[in-house]
Amino acid sequence: MSRSRVRRFSFLAQALAVVLSCLPFAAPAQERAPLLWFQGTRLILEHPQAQAGDIAVSTRDAGLRRFLDKLGATVAFEPQSRYVVVTAQDRRTIVFTLGDPWYTVAGVRVRAPFAPSNDGPDVLLPFFALARALYVEPVPDGGETVLQPRIGALDVRAEGGRTVVTVRAAMPLLIDTNADGPDRLQVTFVGQGSSLAPTRRALGAGVDALDVTVAGTARVPSTTLTITAAPGTAHRIVPAETPDAFSVAFEPRGSVSQNGPPTPPPMVGSPGPYDPGALVAPTAAPPVVAGRATLTGLAFEQGSDDALVVRVALSGAAGYEWHRLLDHRWYLDFANTTLNGPGRDEHPSFGSAQSVRVRQTGTGDAPAVRIAFTLAGDQAIEVQPSDTGLTITVSNASATDLTRIGTGRTGGPPVAASGASPDAVPSEMPWKFGTPSSPRLIVIDPGHGGADVGTAHNGLVEKSLTFDIAQRLRSLLVAQGWIVKMTRDGDIDPVSTDLLTQMHADGKANADDRAYLQTRCDVANAANARMFISIHVNSAPVSSARGSTFYWYKPQDAAFAQTLEHAVVATAGTQDDGARHENFYVVRHTTMPAVLIETAFVTNPSDVELLRQPSFLQNVAQGIANGVKAYAGAPALRQVQSDNGVSRQ
Amino acid sequence: MVLIVLFVAAVAAAWWFTHRTPAGVGDAITVYYAKADGTTLVPWRVSLGPARDPASVAFYAATQCVAGPPPGTEAIRFPAGTRVLAVDVVDSTADVNLSHEIAGSSKEGSFAESAEFKSLVWTLTQPSLHLTSVKIRIDGARVATLPGGHLEIDEPLSRSSF
Repeated sequence: MSRSRVRRFSFLAQALAVVLSCLPFAAPAQERAPLLWFQGTRLILEHPQAQAGDIAVSTRDAGLRRFLDKLGATVAFEPQSRYVVVTAQDRRTIVFTLGDPWYTVAGVRVRAPFAPSNDGPDVLLPFFALARALYVEPVPDGGETVLQPRIGALDVRAEGGRTVVTVRAAMPLLIDTNADGPDRLQVTFVGQGSSLAPTRRALGAGVDALDVTVAGTARVPSTTLTITAAPGTAHRIVPAETPDAFSVAFEPRGSVSQNGPPTPPPMVGSPGPYDPGALVAPTAAPPVVAGRATLTGLAFEQGSDDALVVRVALSGAAGYEWHRLLDHRWYLDFANTTLNGPGRDEHPSFGSAQSVRVRQTGTGDAPAVRIAFTLAGDQAIEVQPSDTGLTITVSNASATDLTRIGTGRTGGPPVAASGASPDAVPSEMPWKFGTPSSPRLIVIDPGHGGADVGTAHNGLVEKSLTFDIAQRLRSLLVAQGWIVKMTRDGDIDPVSTDLLTQMHADGKANADDRAYLQTRCDVANAANARMFISIHVNSAPVSSARGSTFYWYKPQDAAFAQTLEHAVVATAGTQDDGARHENFYVVRHTTMPAVLIETAFVTNPSDVELLRQPSFLQNVAQGIANGVKAYAGAPALRQVQSDNGVSRQ
Repeated sequence: MVLIVLFVAAVAAAWWFTHRTPAGVGDAITVYYAKADGTTLVPWRVSLGPARDPASVAFYAATQCVAGPPPGTEAIRFPAGTRVLAVDVVDSTADVNLSHEIAGSSKEGSFAESAEFKSLVWTLTQPSLHLTSVKIRIDGARVATLPGGHLEIDEPLSRSSF
């Protein structure tokens, strides 16, 4: 019989069972759910329904929620989906499917006494099956049922020249260790039962045997793990990932490392289909390919007869193609062209275009820019190419010729050959639509501040470090002749109350968070600054992550980020984590070259040592200043007045 | 007779419901997690249960991604307690509603925040799901960024966002 036919019969049988279970004559005698005890207290489920030796309990039952909370587990279900996913504290998933008695525990299929069913947002799950998957065993005890936390898994792993034994349990472990001989270690887990086999032998390098014994009562159990090491082996308890795990490493005596926790292996054996050989290559930032043309400017003017005139400035030559759609939209695509700034939305107060949108629609090897109009009707549109760009005139009169497509070519010599490296983009290319009105102004953004402390680890606080580096950088840039403005000049998280009010009035989603970041962008945008540099300090859930990263968003900023990257790494000596494309708010919503620098990690021991040294902070600032100079050169010296009152000749 | 009709109707409805399978979805999907370097994504095959309809598969993929790889695997993980509250699929966009615990990722710097959303977007935009972009909500609300966060998430994210 084919597999599909087996499935079909199985499915029909399940469906028949569901129908029959609804019939009055098939209703089973109502079983009484047992009294449940967990961690010394009664676990009261709201509407437990004993069923086939288990208990059907709703995922919204407050008792079940308390039980899962104590185990650090979460349940996810939504009525549109047939899957119910419970995630254990150790990140194993237990997956139930509505109508299917089979469920999976970390990928291993197990059969439950009954299939989960739902009534709207309520799903009835087999409670005991779920508890066992979370390493909690229902143990009968005097007519009641004790939910006994257990040692549920024991991993033995060879890592290089040593063996690591890891125990996983349902609850945070209370541990009592006793090394009663040079080669024997006894570990007692108080309050835990065990589902492990009593003995395992010859497990790996350095470990000869593991013996598991359980003592105590159903309500107060304890489990002792005795590890017999090979002669000449030393052990070391290593930090576990979660409080409900315990790890000890065995290795030849004399080679026990004292350099902190071992690096976990790339992955442990998973019962699921897990293919470590299928690692993808590092997904570095996509290469920026300079287009043959760059859209450098866009101006909206009021023409004769109230026509809308859009002047498009191009650096380089580009082909274009325009289309008129039946729904009163009209758009023009520049091929092989890069937008020299963020996308733009306009709602002209004159003319017949309700809106105009400018977007980078193609990236990578095929950059493209689209200018799209939503018109009031079938207005006539004239496209006039020139050596410096193109003019689009939207008339208020209806078109007599509703041609739907047209093509052409415009612009002057290309700024860079297609496929050239980002470094080939001239650093002095005007960034904003037009020329910066403050070409000598650099805005420094010390990340976070005030109530937003950023990340904080090992006694280091991000908002303080970023402000320290920013102040040092300001002095260095002023010495180079730049005018410098800071987005904050103290321990505050700046926000424009006008902007906040406006965003609330506009009904902007999450207006508060947006306003805080937009305020920082507006400091640079309003002044039309030459550059924007946001300084941050990173952290990671793994201590191995370290180094400096340079984030950019707008394609043209890649060269700026790479220049800063090379300068900072060379000066400060941090690990080079690269210049990366990222959708970060402050580099996206600033209209000039902008880079967000994550200088180092407060979670990495070597980076922490660096961040504690003022000389390192100075070197980071010096590296950034060097990068600015390499990118833009020095501003022409003249009499200037910086915002911090320093005069320079 | 009525029961037979009911039975046939129930079978037909259930059959249709369980076999609305997005073309190309097999017995397993790919879930991505970010390695400790924060940028390298590792594909991880996870078996599917019997439900193959687009909404179920997308929800399953998102929950597996948020749960992360098996214990002992060094990875950038979503903050503990983060749940997928819902995944709505409209055309080629998945609208993922995450619980507020996700805000903890921005407390760990841009490193983890970026890696987590990248893995989620890559998981949901794998070719077999026929999705190209992912919208994010936090406890049902559309937000510009996470509190104290760095990544802009109120516009659809796609693989090219990273």
